[in-house]
Amino acid sequence: MNQRIRFTLNGQTAEVDTDPARSLLWVLRTDLGLTGTKFGCGEGHCGACTVLVNGQATESCSLPVGRAAGAEVTTIEGLAQGAQLHPVQLAFMEHDALQCGFCTPGMILRATALLRRDPDPTPEAIVAGLEGHLCRCGTHVRVIAAVRTAARALQGGAQ
Amino acid sequence: MNHHEAVLHVRGEARFVDDEPTPAGTLHAAVVTSPTAHGRLLGIDAGEAERLPGVRAILTCRDVPGKNQVGTIIPDEPLLAEAAVHYLGQPVALVVADSDAQARRAARAVHVPVEPLPPEFDARAANARGELIFPQRTFARGDVDSAWAACAVVVAGRAETGAQEHVYLETQGAVAIPGEGGTLRLLSATQAPTAVQRVVAGVLGVPMHRVEVEVRRLGGGFGGKEDQATPWAGLAALGAWCTGRPVKLVLRRQEDMRWTGKRHPYSSDFRIGLDRDGRILAYEVFFYQNAGATADLSPAILERTLFHATNAYFIPHVRATAASCRTNLPSNTAFRGFGGPQAMFVLEAAIARAAAEMGLEPAEIQRRNLLREGEEFPYGMRMASSALTRCWTEAETRYDLPAIRRRAAEFNDAHRLEKQGVAVMPVCFGISFTNTVLNQAGALVHVHTDGSVSVSTGAVEMGQGTAPKLRQVAAATLGIDPERVRIDSTSTSRVASTSPTAASTGPDMNGHATRLAGEAILARLREVAARRLAVADAATIGIRAGQVHVLGRPAGFSWAELVGAAYAERVSLSAHAHYATPRIHFDKATGRGEPFAYHACGVAIVEATVDVLRGECRIDAVRVVHDAGHSIDPLVDRGQVEGGLLQGIGWMTMEEVLHLPSGGVATDTLTTYKVPDLYAAPDEVEVHFLEPGGEPAGIMGAKAVGEPPLMYGIGAFFAVHAAIRAARPGTDTHFVAPLSAERILAALSEPS
Repeated sequence: MNQRIRFTLNGQTAEVDTDPARSLLWVLRTDLGLTGTKFGCGEGHCGACTVLVNGQATESCSLPVGRAAGAEVTTIEGLAQGAQLHPVQLAFMEHDALQCGFCTPGMILRATALLRRDPDPTPEAIVAGLEGHLCRCGTHVRVIAAVRTAARALQGGAQ
Repeated sequence: MNHHEAVLHVRGEARFVDDEPTPAGTLHAAVVTSPTAHGRLLGIDAGEAERLPGVRAILTCRDVPGKNQVGTIIPDEPLLAEAAVHYLGQPVALVVADSDAQARRAARAVHVPVEPLPPEFDARAANARGELIFPQRTFARGDVDSAWAACAVVVAGRAETGAQEHVYLETQGAVAIPGEGGTLRLLSATQAPTAVQRVVAGVLGVPMHRVEVEVRRLGGGFGGKEDQATPWAGLAALGAWCTGRPVKLVLRRQEDMRWTGKRHPYSSDFRIGLDRDGRILAYEVFFYQNAGATADLSPAILERTLFHATNAYFIPHVRATAASCRTNLPSNTAFRGFGGPQAMFVLEAAIARAAAEMGLEPAEIQRRNLLREGEEFPYGMRMASSALTRCWTEAETRYDLPAIRRRAAEFNDAHRLEKQGVAVMPVCFGISFTNTVLNQAGALVHVHTDGSVSVSTGAVEMGQGTAPKLRQVAAATLGIDPERVRIDSTSTSRVASTSPTAASTGPDMNGHATRLAGEAILARLREVAARRLAVADAATIGIRAGQVHVLGRPAGFSWAELVGAAYAERVSLSAHAHYATPRIHFDKATGRGEPFAYHACGVAIVEATVDVLRGECRIDAVRVVHDAGHSIDPLVDRGQVEGGLLQGIGWMTMEEVLHLPSGGVATDTLTTYKVPDLYAAPDEVEVHFLEPGGEPAGIMGAKAVGEPPLMYGIGAFFAVHAAIRAARPGTDTHFVAPLSAERILAALSEPS
């Protein structure tokens, strides 16, 4: 049974008329045309579909869109302020922390949420914070370095 | 990675096949597969499925207008099953529907009755029954049978490596879009656009010029999309052809893990003989390759296994035989290293057993037998450089191997429940397709009238960094800033008859083709510049940093002005070039020749800690000296080394494909199939590039770097093996990879 579901998407109101049991991932990708959020495994174990829901990193493949009603959803497309990239995005570029790039949007959003919670994470905290994110190209060491750089940049920005 | 490409990725704007906007009216396809590993197909009951909402077509082999065939090396693989099914998950029918959900629902409602036949999953058993994909092959040198008598030590054993699932994060997929006049355009997540074009044309029964295949980028390939992207593209094409509408087919993760091939499991028997000083005199090995149900790329993979049977060592008397065994599993396929890693593992197992027998460190035997410049591989080619021995010496001294060993020994003295092990892993990998015909590439370079440049080649970008390297090659050839150069998507209409982007050859072959096309344009531009600047000899003209130079001095004439002048003079600003790797040849009958343009090599020192109670292992450090020649892009190359070795560590220590008794894949999700996550990354990864020594190399003096580093991961197995032996001296671990926690515990608890 379809329902009209409304939520805030990257700062703007989004409204869809759909089955509330459908996953947020496919609603974002097919109904709303935001394909930066990737399908990786469909069961919340690879992190490629990660978005921010009310600031929390969330696997959108496992979230029924009905449960996003009224929430504030940020996808990778909404992270930069126009042409100004977010410090986490810049740090991933600086460290070349991506190869094929398929895991990158989810990885960046999870790292962004982590740094909001823990602005100065240790390498161990970064590894724990990014648990469940797979990068098959093996950029692990660089991802950790990028998150540390982003942390410094964000702290510098706050001073 | 170049800046523009990276920006697309970090903003989520980089498009993969499933991200491309599709035309209105695009239909969705889902695949009906065999529920049984082996049997006679008794029919396809689609009555119920046809009545479901949204269903537009249910297609079987009878709907294929051309050849129902996707096999490339051997035509033994139907697109859709005919009378028999040969593995669980074999495509039997295609459902096309308005939505993805409707297609999948209907696919589940198609019944496939099968009269079961006994399945075979074991390679050795298949071999015993004569079930080979093609006759077994042998590479030999010297007189191995007589050599045993001269050996002071002879040991034998068995070594096994398991399958490895690719887990490219982007699953297999394609979109087929019918055009006017019986044409078809395909967006395919393939490493081999021309193979897709050829197979689709065959399936549809049309000339290849009616099929265009385009690839922008892949979300990882690792070999898994070299041959096995083709069936899904073929099915999407069939759906589009039969319905007249665009059709998208993208596999879900579980479908991909159940239906597609993996790295071949190998079970091998070895025998090795050494003299008193640890010099290897003789080596005999028999590889049983589990090919799965069809040939796929198995013949070529098996051949590379034989080429790399002696890896980085000189062995005077060798006999390596390999059998490609037909089983009722999804056909196994290319995976980074392409049969080489399986071969190298067996020899390292043989060395480890010999070392234990002789009371030596395995590294002593490795070092004493390392291939030196001028020594011959069993296939007749000579080692052209000292790069390998230099890598070994550099690794030993730079990372202070004796100190590493000392630290491990001290740790082991101080700890009872944790033990450390150290292993050294040398790698020597031949660069070129072993099938000589594939060693050719094309490039199309356009200089546009504003001075910007676009380059099309046969190379597919999948994260390995070929595109940024090609960009540098084009810019260096033309003497302009790389910012002016754009690498276009790979399209069979722009560059035809391409080889797959595989065998680590992408930058070399496509780079040379790009260089040749650039040089052709440059020669014309020199003539234009000579006329404009009234210089008699065009050869004195060069372009550097976007400025025309005469005899090395700036002439006050910019690249953009020169391009404008050439256009005004009606001089062509485009060129296509073809490159064929020179010299290489191989005689399959004698097993001798010069099959590789060069060898890429390196040495890794791996340190591991084993938790003796839990059986868990941790790879603490991997320290590498790698020979990348004159690296075009050290950041990219370093990434290839880091990523490759991590995949190798995964293959050796944690990734395990298990099957159900039915032949279905039990490890068909990312909860049951573990690939290295951030926790699994070694605490320390050091990569040092060897100072180039002027040996043969690829484009711009660089060496291929895609595959060789994977084999450093083999060192992880033997570091863990050493840790187990530290915990239980005298334990002779079975050489079965992956060395999972279960296997480590089993080894630790075996009665000694």
